Amino acid sequence: MCRKVGENVRARMNRLGRNIWQARYIYLLLIPGLLYFIIFHYVPMNGVVLSFKKFNARLGIWGSQFVGWANFERIFRTPDALNAIRNTFEINLSRLVFQFPAAIILALLLNEMRGTRFKRIYQTVYTFPHFLSWVVVSSILSNFLASDGLINSVLVRMGGSRINFLADTALFRPLLYLTHNWKEMGWDSIIYMATITSIDPTLYEAATVDGAGRLQQVFHVTLPGILSTIVILFILQVGRIMNAGFEQIFYMQNAAVKKVSDVLDTYIYTITFKATPNYGFSAAVGLFKSVINLVMLVIANFTVKKASGSGLFV
Amino acid sequence: MTKTMKQPKSRLKQATGWDMLIFILLTLLTLIIFLPFYNAVVISLETNRAYALNPVSLYPVEFTLRNYEHLISKGQIGIGYKNTVFITFMGTALSMFSMLAMSYAFSRRHYPGKKLFFVMMLFTMFFSGGMIPTYLQFKNLGMINTTWAIVLYSGISAYNVIILKNGFEQTPAELEEAAKIDGANDLVIFLRIELPLQGALIATFTLFTAVGYWNEWFWSTLLINSGSKMPLQVVLKAIVAESAALEDVSTGEAGADAFAQGIKMAAVMLTMVPIMCLYPFLQKYFVKGVLVGSVKM
Repeated sequence: MCRKVGENVRARMNRLGRNIWQARYIYLLLIPGLLYFIIFHYVPMNGVVLSFKKFNARLGIWGSQFVGWANFERIFRTPDALNAIRNTFEINLSRLVFQFPAAIILALLLNEMRGTRFKRIYQTVYTFPHFLSWVVVSSILSNFLASDGLINSVLVRMGGSRINFLADTALFRPLLYLTHNWKEMGWDSIIYMATITSIDPTLYEAATVDGAGRLQQVFHVTLPGILSTIVILFILQVGRIMNAGFEQIFYMQNAAVKKVSDVLDTYIYTITFKATPNYGFSAAVGLFKSVINLVMLVIANFTVKKASGSGLFV
Repeated sequence: MTKTMKQPKSRLKQATGWDMLIFILLTLLTLIIFLPFYNAVVISLETNRAYALNPVSLYPVEFTLRNYEHLISKGQIGIGYKNTVFITFMGTALSMFSMLAMSYAFSRRHYPGKKLFFVMMLFTMFFSGGMIPTYLQFKNLGMINTTWAIVLYSGISAYNVIILKNGFEQTPAELEEAAKIDGANDLVIFLRIELPLQGALIATFTLFTAVGYWNEWFWSTLLINSGSKMPLQVVLKAIVAESAALEDVSTGEAGADAFAQGIKMAAVMLTMVPIMCLYPFLQKYFVKGVLVGSVKM
């Protein structure tokens, strides 16, 4: 009996060994990617213990003193951190309202436009800014909106007064959504354009026969045709609620608008790379963000799976 | 897209009112996107004097290349170019190879550990250690202030691996079996049979990865602090932020042609040029890139 089990185990081990040997080149191909994920993602994940410690550079992550939940409690006692959390949610919810529909509207307009040549030229212009970095885009737009920039010069010529667009707390957030649309709406509209292409043309013919006007066709044929794409992209966007567009805000931010513009990412950046950083606290804010992110993503993925029958990742 | 263009034929006859409105709206939008670029070009080619007299002009009143000359003579931008070209080429090559190899491996039939490795990769899409632990890891590896940190870190993404894996899964299994019978091993199959079949997908991802490297800024700012190693985007950011330091360009030599705003816009232009050159190719792969990349996390 015992011998038999032993033989079984040995046979299975042999088979496993053979399988592994057979796949040896596959493992070889996996190595660079796996090394990358281990070194740059998994090892840093151990660093989350930092959030429960009072970091001491001399003692390192593991040697530093354990302080329990103290760093997290501090988040909720720090007005700046709370402000950043609130801003993150507010800005992202507003992005859903002011940015998300822009690409859909643009796709519908482009689809209704006549004249293939213009359409192609226009689309070329709309999509271009997507490939530029925020450093470039914000430089170009700040030049345009600066107090001695083109917009203000025109305003003054027309008898108006200069507006300091970039340092006005009331204007900063609308400007955030507008500049994001300026850069990304053309690109974001492509997926809707592509989906519209796949709508059955006979639906339009049937609608015309039924006497539907152009506007009615948009609302009763085109929109329903891209609805599932809209829903999936919307859920995804909700899943990314904690990522408020760090680079854009970082470039456009200045001292005058800090209060309304500071989000979690910029806050972490500021407290980490200032004169006296507290790595333990920074890591705690980071972990707080990561955890909410994780929950939102899992919910988003689950919802999309329910809605479309297949998950986004697997 | 051709289908939608042909399909509303029945609608071609009527409704010029809507057409005018749509045309006007879209033309306005085109102008709104185009003008800031154009304005930047004009300023970069303008002299200080002409700009001071009239900041709103549709063309450079006194055409000059002095802004560009001044910028290039300072050397920073050249160093930035050199570093970014290195980062982009090395980074794109290395991460494309790693991602292709990994996605091919994940597309193969079952072998011990496949599921574990895959889930391991997947998890990185949902959770990350965060900025500080990652920064400390670079510190431990002695990679602070090296361009290699950017090369190795910023190109690979689990999401791209999944898309590429789906691409590999679509090649017919018979091809592979035939090659196996001829005695080819997995490595040969990957390099000789599978890779050549994925041309379009590889082109798409190579272009988008390269643009990503070219535009990478965040980790470069965090990790690179010596001027000789700064990539272009960091240099540009420094030039744009350095307005105070640049102001004395115009005040220094009275009436000099170069001026701060002109130099800044010249820097923006020089950073943009390679992307503009790449744009026609990018455009060719737009729809593919969007369809596979739109849900990128």
